[in-house]
Amino acid sequence: MRNQSSVKQEFLRKWITGLRRYSCEKKNMSFFERKKAIKLSADLAMASTRDKTTRWSQALIANNTDNVFIASSSSSSPKKSSSSRSRNMTTLMRRSRPTRVKSAKKEMSSARCIAKRLMEKRTRKLKNLLPGGESMDEGCLVAETLDYIQSLRDQIEVMRCLVTASQLIINPS
Amino acid sequence: MSSRRSRQQSGSSRISDDQIIELVSKLRQLVPEIRDRRSDKVSASKVLQETCNYIRNLHREVDDLSERLSQLLATIDADSAEASIIRSLINQ
Repeated sequence: MRNQSSVKQEFLRKWITGLRRYSCEKKNMSFFERKKAIKLSADLAMASTRDKTTRWSQALIANNTDNVFIASSSSSSPKKSSSSRSRNMTTLMRRSRPTRVKSAKKEMSSARCIAKRLMEKRTRKLKNLLPGGESMDEGCLVAETLDYIQSLRDQIEVMRCLVTASQLIINPS
Repeated sequence: MSSRRSRQQSGSSRISDDQIIELVSKLRQLVPEIRDRRSDKVSASKVLQETCNYIRNLHREVDDLSERLSQLLATIDADSAEASIIRSLINQ
């Protein structure tokens, strides 16, 4: 596990580099353009601290590279990852066997069915939340989720610091 | 954690019980909602649900902070002293 504070420092450095480049290229940005630039450069900066060691970070960078720092393209749509349904997902669906009711009571087996379907549904939701999650197999999903959550928390902490610092500079009272 | 459930969830394409246990233990350090729950009664799908909710909250927070920063930068008069301070902060 990397030193958390070094990750945050790297994130801050990269984020500010990104912000600087973006603000040089586009002078008079609208509020939403600026917000988008801030958020995008933050997301990319955080993903790059992973140094391609996680799938979510690679997917995030791949999905957003066209958007970055190109003054002319103001709202190019982000490239979606090419894999539509992962092979594992279809296999999962096909492999969901009909309930093998040998000696189990009917109520029990339908409860198990419901539980299984609920798990599948929630796993799908989690995959949709992770960048590149749709093409992840369940084996690495947990590890990727934990790493993604940790990085989001670091990112938020640093962003909050910058917001607070800027507020203090602007309104010293 | 129900061992009954682990017998039905065969195949490597499912999230295993072990992984859920790992997810819960790591998340308990991070996520307040899971932390307060009794450890022996947590269900796998509930853990996933809380995880999804938490990630959504984090996304919202990032969005909100980006908005606030955008607002703050907008209020700075380009020639003011504050602007030059922030500019020097960013230009280091």
